[in-house]
Amino acid sequence: MNDTGTLIRIETEQTPDLPTAPGAIVMHDLNFRYGKVQALRDVTMTVPANAVTAIIGPSGCGKSTLLRTINRIYELYPEQHASGEILIDGRNVLDRRYPLSDLRRLVGMVFQKPTPFPSSIRANVGFALTYYQRLSKSELNDRIEDALRQAALWDEVKDKLNQSALSLSGGQQQRLCIARAIAVKPEILLLDEATSALDPISTAKVEELIHELSERFTIVIVTHNMQQAARVSRRTAFFHLGELIEFGKTSDIFTNPREQRTKDYITGRFG
Amino acid sequence: MAVPVRRRAADITAFLFASAATAFGLLWLFWILWTTLKQGAAALTPELFTQMTPPPGTSGGLANALYGSAMMILLGVVVGAPVGVAAGTYLAEHGRHSRLAAVVSFLNDVLLSAPSIVIGLFVYELVVVTAGHFSGYAGALALAMILLPIVVRTTEESLRLVPDQMREAGFALGLPRWRVTSQIIYKAALSAILTGILLGIARIAGETAPLLFTALNNQFWSANLDGPLANLPVVIFQYAMSPYDEWHTLAWAGAFVLTTFVLILNLLVRLLARKGTYR
Repeated sequence: MNDTGTLIRIETEQTPDLPTAPGAIVMHDLNFRYGKVQALRDVTMTVPANAVTAIIGPSGCGKSTLLRTINRIYELYPEQHASGEILIDGRNVLDRRYPLSDLRRLVGMVFQKPTPFPSSIRANVGFALTYYQRLSKSELNDRIEDALRQAALWDEVKDKLNQSALSLSGGQQQRLCIARAIAVKPEILLLDEATSALDPISTAKVEELIHELSERFTIVIVTHNMQQAARVSRRTAFFHLGELIEFGKTSDIFTNPREQRTKDYITGRFG
Repeated sequence: MAVPVRRRAADITAFLFASAATAFGLLWLFWILWTTLKQGAAALTPELFTQMTPPPGTSGGLANALYGSAMMILLGVVVGAPVGVAAGTYLAEHGRHSRLAAVVSFLNDVLLSAPSIVIGLFVYELVVVTAGHFSGYAGALALAMILLPIVVRTTEESLRLVPDQMREAGFALGLPRWRVTSQIIYKAALSAILTGILLGIARIAGETAPLLFTALNNQFWSANLDGPLANLPVVIFQYAMSPYDEWHTLAWAGAFVLTTFVLILNLLVRLLARKGTYR
């Protein structure tokens, strides 16, 4: 399967209009291994800034791995290795000399299951803020309010900021996690199946939020739900067995895919 | 809906067996409490907590023994619990993938199952022989060494119960490991860790063998931890072995106090556990 060279060319031809503004993610020959298992193979793609890019593909295709590579969260596990380049704002973030705390301030992440910390709502959002910056109490409160407003959660929690975050509903918890991630003003947001544990109404709210946030953040969303990818994203990448099969405008991918495998997947023939 | 007779019969039989087994287990607990209460009732007076252990033939209490026990348990916890929590944190968080952690974990299991009399002898050689006299410090050290592996194990297990996603969420914000551990993971595991410490206290409260070799006993009031110190388990042991009736009664009363203390600790543990760790 060494036809990736042609694929790369298709990418660049297909997406010449991509802005390489701050917040764009440029990947070059990205490879990833879990021990001996190759999870990503020579992935080359450019995620445009200030837009939603969806990653779709069957289970085990490497889509979550791709996200976990961008903020190097995989480094928690010694048997996992990435090689290649991921350029954000012109710097290779996979370089070991790139400080992790800088990278993770630049790249926020939201997980499949809501992960509120066992503290108050206020503390959840303020956590990372107080680590990165010395803020006065009023500045801190302003930043917390700002983040909660951006996450469309402020009106629901403004009267109970000191209550435990665990008392919120699942959908609220997930929006709290988004607020927590954007509080430190990242450029990029990674959402790893962020709505798959939520009910339809909460999902709709989060999708709406993703849409709003895409004006200010580069958003990469991994999803099992193809309708969701079609609804929220401007571009879609289809992965299969660790390879990038096709990447382009979401409307093209869903209505007029170039690759047979993409077509088979979106029409439900496998996956 | 009619439930088939066979199934109903099986259900009732199983219920009866289970209830009988429960009752059988509880029987001993209440029997112990009742016996100690009945035999020690005569000594369960305010004097028990204000008077010193008496010479044969006179009346007295257990004040010095209760004080000595409390001091040594307290000191043992102050020494043993922080070290145990730190070591458990290393095993569960920092040393996850290291060989050293696997070895430490195994050695901790060995220490956990070491007979307490061996630990008593070890501290005897290490402290009592070196210092030339029995002391409360030596007793506290022996208790700390019994507490330590319990706290290490329970801390490690409590931390492992916190889902990895919680750690990832912390790290994804760019927080360093010590901050993720101290401000997120500890909070999520707090009640479980405290439960482990309380269980450890319940365990060392009744330890007799290690104190025989270290704190020994003291018939008089003494707050000096650098000398022989009275303590409840050894007093109970000596008084129960004696031929004097008043001493027997005091030993029973001491046993009742000790059992009640351990029971209360266990109830506290239940209460904490119900508050729950991270769901």
